[in-house]
Amino acid sequence: MTAGISGLEKPLRLAGMLLIAGLLVEAICLLWARPLAFILLVAAGGFLCAAGIVVYLYALVSARKATPEQ
Amino acid sequence: MRSSTILLLSLIVLSAVLIGVLVARPVVTATRGGKILAFFILFLLPSLSMTMGVSSELERSKSTEFCLSCHVMESHGRSLYVDDPGYLAAAHFQNHRVPADQACYTCHTNYAMFGGYRAKLNGLHHVYVQYFGKAQDPIRLYEPYNNRECLHCHLGARSFEEGAVHTADPDLLPAVKANKVSCLSSGCHDVVHNAGQLSNVKFWKGAK
Repeated sequence: MTAGISGLEKPLRLAGMLLIAGLLVEAICLLWARPLAFILLVAAGGFLCAAGIVVYLYALVSARKATPEQ
Repeated sequence: MRSSTILLLSLIVLSAVLIGVLVARPVVTATRGGKILAFFILFLLPSLSMTMGVSSELERSKSTEFCLSCHVMESHGRSLYVDDPGYLAAAHFQNHRVPADQACYTCHTNYAMFGGYRAKLNGLHHVYVQYFGKAQDPIRLYEPYNNRECLHCHLGARSFEEGAVHTADPDLLPAVKANKVSCLSSGCHDVVHNAGQLSNVKFWKGAK
């Protein structure tokens, strides 16, 4: 169990940081009512959040492959 | 600030805090419950926040304030406050014939299926021009103004269907409804924004 966690730890942290960065961008864009805010929200915020989710999901899938059912 | 924005910001802060806890203590995902919690925090909450954020920004892009935040639209914004009922845009805006907070969007979208998205795609081009390009001088519409935008509200209205000028020629209304005779450029309602000629006009005192 511990080995599984430590294997997941790094990608989980990376995913979390990407998601926090994406959410931070989203929050700034919501407060900053300018036309560029919308582009930033979709391009930067959307990319960071999507990357975070992909890293997390990939970590789940690869962790399951690494520790097959016993 | 709108209450929906405050609610969304609260959701974003909550999501960020929960993600922060997970990043600081990934060991919580060791148990089955922890894994479910991690899926909720790292997948569902950010997806929901982002979807709501994009939706909120799309909605905000309809606002008059948003359209007029570009420097190039400043004179069009001022034209909404001209103290002359002959100015079509000003008369509609000041008398709330269109929602004042979405005045631009109400008249400048086509109301067809996905019309709003098409208008927003054009809007993306506007953002590009605002920051990296040069706007046309004078600003022109992408295509001739379609009577459909007027008929969306006026069709069936008594003042429109039975107006003396409209009914004087029996061929006029069918031609207007078929978009063969323009409401704006056929010499009838041709003073709309006239944004380039605002130096000598009087402005409404209620103007902000």
